[in-house]
Amino acid sequence: MSEIIVALEKVSYKYPRSLDFVLKNIDLTIQKGEFFGVIGPTGAGKTTLCLTMNAVVPQFYGGRFFGHVFVAGLDTLDYPISLLANRVGAVFDDPETQLIATSVENEIAFALENLLVPREEILKRIPHALAAVRLEGTEKKHPAELSGGQKQRLAIAAALAVQPDLLVLDEPTSQLDPVGSQEVFATVRELNKELGMTIIMSSHAAEEMAEYCDRVALLSNGELAAVGKPEEIYSQIERLLANDLRPPQVASTFYLIQQTGIPTGAIPVRMEEGSRYLKEVEEVCTIYPPKDIRQARVHTSEPVLSIKDLKHVYPDGTEALHGVSMDIREGEYVLIIGQNGAGKSTLVKHFLNLLKPTSGSVKVGGVETANLTVSQLARRIGYVAQNPDNQIFNATVGEEVAFALKALKYPPEEVESRTLEGLAAMGLSNVREIHPLALPKGDRARVVIAAILAMKPEMIIFDEPTTGQDYRGAKYILEISRQLHEMGKTIVVITHHLYLMPDYAERVLVMGKGTLLMDAPIREAYHAVELLQSTYLMPPQAVLLAQELGNLTNQSLPKLLTPEELASCFHYSHNGRTP
Amino acid sequence: MSMLKFQTVERDSFFTRLDFRPKLVMMAVISIIAFVWESPLLQMVMAFLIIIAALVVGVKFSYIRLVIMVMTPFYILLLLTHGFFNIDQVKALTGKSVLTPMFTFPESWWLIGGGMMSWEGFTYGVNAIFKTLSLTLVIPLGVFTTDVDTMIVGMVRARIPYKIAFIFSATLRFFPVLFQEIGMIIEAQRLRGLAMERMNPAQRVKVYAKVAVPLILGAMVKSQQLEVVLQSKAFSGSPVRTYLHESKMGIEDYLLIAFFVLLLIVATILYFAYGIGKFGGPI
Repeated sequence: MSEIIVALEKVSYKYPRSLDFVLKNIDLTIQKGEFFGVIGPTGAGKTTLCLTMNAVVPQFYGGRFFGHVFVAGLDTLDYPISLLANRVGAVFDDPETQLIATSVENEIAFALENLLVPREEILKRIPHALAAVRLEGTEKKHPAELSGGQKQRLAIAAALAVQPDLLVLDEPTSQLDPVGSQEVFATVRELNKELGMTIIMSSHAAEEMAEYCDRVALLSNGELAAVGKPEEIYSQIERLLANDLRPPQVASTFYLIQQTGIPTGAIPVRMEEGSRYLKEVEEVCTIYPPKDIRQARVHTSEPVLSIKDLKHVYPDGTEALHGVSMDIREGEYVLIIGQNGAGKSTLVKHFLNLLKPTSGSVKVGGVETANLTVSQLARRIGYVAQNPDNQIFNATVGEEVAFALKALKYPPEEVESRTLEGLAAMGLSNVREIHPLALPKGDRARVVIAAILAMKPEMIIFDEPTTGQDYRGAKYILEISRQLHEMGKTIVVITHHLYLMPDYAERVLVMGKGTLLMDAPIREAYHAVELLQSTYLMPPQAVLLAQELGNLTNQSLPKLLTPEELASCFHYSHNGRTP
Repeated sequence: MSMLKFQTVERDSFFTRLDFRPKLVMMAVISIIAFVWESPLLQMVMAFLIIIAALVVGVKFSYIRLVIMVMTPFYILLLLTHGFFNIDQVKALTGKSVLTPMFTFPESWWLIGGGMMSWEGFTYGVNAIFKTLSLTLVIPLGVFTTDVDTMIVGMVRARIPYKIAFIFSATLRFFPVLFQEIGMIIEAQRLRGLAMERMNPAQRVKVYAKVAVPLILGAMVKSQQLEVVLQSKAFSGSPVRTYLHESKMGIEDYLLIAFFVLLLIVATILYFAYGIGKFGGPI
């Protein structure tokens, strides 16, 4: 039996000013060399659990702590955090706040200097740590010069340089784009496989966690609801959904197939197994596509937004857009996808007149945006920032909604009537006198949207609304976008989370290196797998499985997008395939 | 990137290779002399020497121009207040009972009628301008020409508490992040439909003041995250730690320290023995 590196014995914990326990009676052991996943919805206690490993909980926070946490045999209550920092490397979710030095090499050296490691030894460890995360040659760079993925890899390198017994990563990919996320997962996996480093990672990235973890713990409301191998945890679809967690799509697909009475054996949770199971199930089924597949509406209305040959060159000479042309029509739901640096933000900033075209034209409602001010445009195009808190600055919800109307000198009666309409549309009438920041995060986004709605815009842009959100939070905000779409608004969403969008979007704009690589209905775009992968976007597993199914059956299946659509293609024929 | 580069000059020179300690001495000595001297001519010569030195070692002309532009309203105010109103002090310093008029406003003018700008008050204002310019520009001369790492270690070696050195370094690290955040918040406000372009300066200030709400809230969240990160990296603020970067003084560093100490001694002797540097003194 391998060595136990972490042992939690009946651990319960309550923060100093909280009413409830955040961790409740947790018993858990983690073996040396394991890649251990921690999953659970927001508020389940994942971060707190991670912080018990290096004694930040309870030594730094205080509060009431019961039980014991042993790390490499040391009781974390008996040793100072500074000593445990030698044993436990920690990486957090925000790439910005966890890098504190002014150069890459200083970042790696910082903890070592605090731990009194001699200079000569620090000089030896820096190149090793950077090599382990493939950041050689960046020693003198300022952290702000690194991409999001590189910043997280630097945080990992800084943790590794201490030569810890285990590495704890708390949602390290939640703020990253797909490339950054892949970089971090690949790095962590390599450390685990090549160097035998024990990894404890919390993450909402279900597909990757199922792929890489040896075991997974499911936390629910501070309790350890289940611990097991990924195939044991991620195959419990109902349990995951009950905990507002998103199962890997391959697991959802086979779960749904099973629900129709088709024996699938176990539920696979990784793509490789999914492909194998697909073949087995296909052999005992008749495959034909569902009849009621939702097709994207074709919009023939007048364009709300029209862009022609748009080029943009930044003052430093960077060519961010190279001749982009497209129309967005009234009532459309458009998804803009692409890597960081693909030109999405630059494009959207032209919609809002925050940037002026170097050449080409941008028209809103037939008028050149160059002839409109930002505030005039804001009345036609609403913008919901990634962090809605940045758009909130008034003392009550009502004042927040009325704020811009008053600034624009609308008559008091109109301010009142529009405010009431905006509040009612977002279901906020009963919290009008509440401070916006006293509301939950999802409702704060509603406040911003109510304020935008009061301006009666034709189009609303959601800028990465799902980044940093758990499944429940992401669905909540996307349901608001659906509600607005049903109200007749034109919706534009920018996101990296392709798997969340099939139920909402109709049309996809794929951006890459400043060009519009593809402009197509969502089914066409999601099935352009090679094109998506060429720009480092990962199509949802359901799309990949649908393509495999098409190849297996030599059928030209419609372009399926979701586990539900895919599962509905399977029709059990007890004695094998029927013609 | 410009936000990052302002911290250090790009040119490698004798000055950039110096230890931070002689630069600290330089900053201290020049500040003391600038503070004590009241001779407009000497102050002007010193300010020009500092500007030339700064340009030679690579501080961008655009930065110096920006400092001067930002300070210009203040300089005009200095000239006016000293020229018109600093009568008693200037009389005492020069020993004159009547000051030399430069020009006088006609008596008939409302409020300012009869006001006289004196030559002595004007030159005292010139002294004050170059004094502030020297005090302002000696900082980039010392700071911009030193790598942040060397600066931190130099500060610690100069017995400045490590906590202060760390705060200085963390400020430089988070300066770009903070500016980025302010930009994002102002952009978000404009996108709420606020017609900034149609607002008068007072209304704009009122709107910009509201940036503080999300900024402070964001900063509070970030500072708590930062505390946890620091704890995880065994930070305690204790000066008992090792340093990746070394701070070793070479012969040129000692020579520079000796030069500035000597300069201070000479300036003091000249000031008190011969009145050189005094307002109305020989130079």
